[in-house]
Amino acid sequence: LRCVRIARLPAPVSPPREGDATRREQEVSDDESVQPPNMDPVHDALERLEWQDAREEETPHSRLRALTRRTALTGGAAGIATAILTACGGGGDKTTSSSKAQTTSSGGTPATGIFKPAKKYKFVFVNHVTTNPFFVPTRYGAEDACKLLGCSYQWTGSENSNVNEMVNAFNTAITGGADGIAIALVDAKAFNGPTDAALKAKIPVVSYNADSTENARLAYIGQDLFVSGAEMGKHIAELVPSGDVALFIATPGQANIQPRIDGAKDTLKSKSAIKTHVITTGAALPAELSVIDSYATGHPETKGYFAVDAGSTQGLAQTIQKHNLRNKGVKGGGYDLTPTTQKLLADDQIDFTIDQQPYLQGFLPVLQLYMNKVSEGLSGIADVNTGLLFLDKTTVAPYNDTKSRYEGTSSSAGVAKAG
Amino acid sequence: MSDTRTGDDAPATAPPAPSSSEPRAPRPGARELALRFLTLREGSIVVVTLLAIVYFAVQNDRFFTHANFITLLPYFAPFAILAAGEVLLMVAGEIDLSIGSVSIFAPFMFYEFNQSGLPLMACLVLALACCVVVGIINGVLTEVVGVSSFITTLGMLLALGGLTLIISHAQPVAMPGAEVTSHTVNVTHVVNGVKVVLPEKVNETGTFAKIFGAGTYSELIWALVIIAGVQILLNRTRWGVYTIAVGGNKHGAAEAGINVRLTVIRNFIVCSVFAGLVGIMEATRATSVTPDTAGASETMFRAVSAAVIGGTLLLGGEGTAIGALLGALFLGVLRDGLTLEGVNADYLDFILGLAILFAMVINVYVGRVRKRSGVG
Repeated sequence: LRCVRIARLPAPVSPPREGDATRREQEVSDDESVQPPNMDPVHDALERLEWQDAREEETPHSRLRALTRRTALTGGAAGIATAILTACGGGGDKTTSSSKAQTTSSGGTPATGIFKPAKKYKFVFVNHVTTNPFFVPTRYGAEDACKLLGCSYQWTGSENSNVNEMVNAFNTAITGGADGIAIALVDAKAFNGPTDAALKAKIPVVSYNADSTENARLAYIGQDLFVSGAEMGKHIAELVPSGDVALFIATPGQANIQPRIDGAKDTLKSKSAIKTHVITTGAALPAELSVIDSYATGHPETKGYFAVDAGSTQGLAQTIQKHNLRNKGVKGGGYDLTPTTQKLLADDQIDFTIDQQPYLQGFLPVLQLYMNKVSEGLSGIADVNTGLLFLDKTTVAPYNDTKSRYEGTSSSAGVAKAG
Repeated sequence: MSDTRTGDDAPATAPPAPSSSEPRAPRPGARELALRFLTLREGSIVVVTLLAIVYFAVQNDRFFTHANFITLLPYFAPFAILAAGEVLLMVAGEIDLSIGSVSIFAPFMFYEFNQSGLPLMACLVLALACCVVVGIINGVLTEVVGVSSFITTLGMLLALGGLTLIISHAQPVAMPGAEVTSHTVNVTHVVNGVKVVLPEKVNETGTFAKIFGAGTYSELIWALVIIAGVQILLNRTRWGVYTIAVGGNKHGAAEAGINVRLTVIRNFIVCSVFAGLVGIMEATRATSVTPDTAGASETMFRAVSAAVIGGTLLLGGEGTAIGALLGALFLGVLRDGLTLEGVNADYLDFILGLAILFAMVINVYVGRVRKRSGVG
């Protein structure tokens, strides 16, 4: 799985900068060096890392990092390298795609060497719920892309969907001379003016997570919300052929969730046997849970519980578990992966949840904005649908067993076993 | 009024700081000027705001630009208006927590009136009339029924937020009159000495929108006019004198023949109307309005803190509108400056909180110096 993940990333762009000694060693060792490990690649790697670090300001932390890295790599290198090479059976053809990519870039040209950026670019992400845990992987994605490309990003906006505050942050980004702006277009109109102003000032703008086609942004990176809702509708129709179905939505009208429920209703309106009821649950998770709980108490005839936002999905899974509704054949499903949703899905309390890869919603905007800058607008911009990945109780297992930046469950690189 | 501030005076006299002996020794001219400046109640917050501006100007070469000045306006102008209303009430010894909800309720009423076919100005007047009703309810519950204003307006904060959700069906709407129309004009550029005519897209908003929020300086102008108005009202009119008297000593004021109820109720009305106006202007600026009740209490808190930072006492009896403007400006400068600096969301509140604490320590210290020098 991990190889696949790596292969999907644009690996040849640059060598990774951070990571533990083992991983670094794995990448540094190339196919040719099957002979007793020589230390050249290690020094090479050290040099490269230090060269990259030198462009950052020196802090006590970075000095310590450099010291530990030097010790770890030079000291531990020989032994670890031998072990890995032996484990690989010396087979050049068994190496991962990432180490192959490393080989081809012979000595690893950093992104700055390949793209020759005019300066260290700074991108600004304007978000509607800056401190929401959903966006933790998004921020890791942006951070990783920035490390990869040698640029930086700022995470700002509003803590509670205050559009005026987001507009303020957007305008500050323009004034502050950001090199690119990624915006969650949670309002259909409010950002049209700022986007036009940014584009006029030659600042590329892409939207992520939520979109508005009225806006002049260059591309959208995120889930195709309406389509995902329509697909969910099909799943609902399969699971509950007839009867009452409750659709929960946290904040109706918000541009990153409303299209989903529209899509679901659009699919379901042709199924006359299914009666849909839309219920608003509110923005805060505890409140959402109590709304769904009381709905379940008041409407025992409901055959299916489905939601279009992360909080309501978790809430309905907890409600189904609390009232033992699975025994009555109740179906359930929704969006996104909170730790609780994941666990309850694996426990077969609900039937599915939809992953929209929040990591990519941070990683790809940085990549696109960077490419747009270095190519001076010739390339880099593309709409990306980050996914419509239906997870069931078996496919959710790796999400429960692992910790990674991709799911926001760990801050360190790689995919680790959950403790 | 300042003799009621026993809490403030006490620490000032306690430690004899080394600086207290020298104020009048060297260069009396400059000293005198500085002291006179500091005797203004707003003197210390001016110093603190200037320090913040200088800090950001040194840190970031883009801070002291015209573009950033324009960006900075919406960071403080709406809060200055809200804070001015709050000052009127706080000087009278009351507080209005409902302003956050009023400022999302008003634009929705505006929208509803517009949906029923009324022209924009009529919608504005009617929406503000709704705010007047809210102010009267707040005032009557506080002054006539006798519920403390904190509880009255807390109830109103929730009730009005809920009402907004009900009438809006929790759906964001496009603000009437704020539509941005774009058309193309031919602009002549001079490139290498050759005149080139290129079509350029220009965004246009209606006159109503330009006056009420969407114009670049509209919120600033409204803020300055309102601040000046409240300042005059507090210092130069009977209304103002009564307000200060009620806040200083309610019973005394009543005994002296002041109509306490009327004074407080009309201050509640003014505060609500200001909040409604800000709500409509902010909605017009963003071109849409979201019934997001979660942000209501934060809006209110920023306005109250702007007033308090600007020298208005939470206990009543003292405060100025100019102080509220400066308090709002200070908070706005901090927010804009830190965002410009590239501070990430997680750190923003942390740094903002520390900056406010630091600034207020300076504020109190400067205030103390002014008192010790005998001019306070």
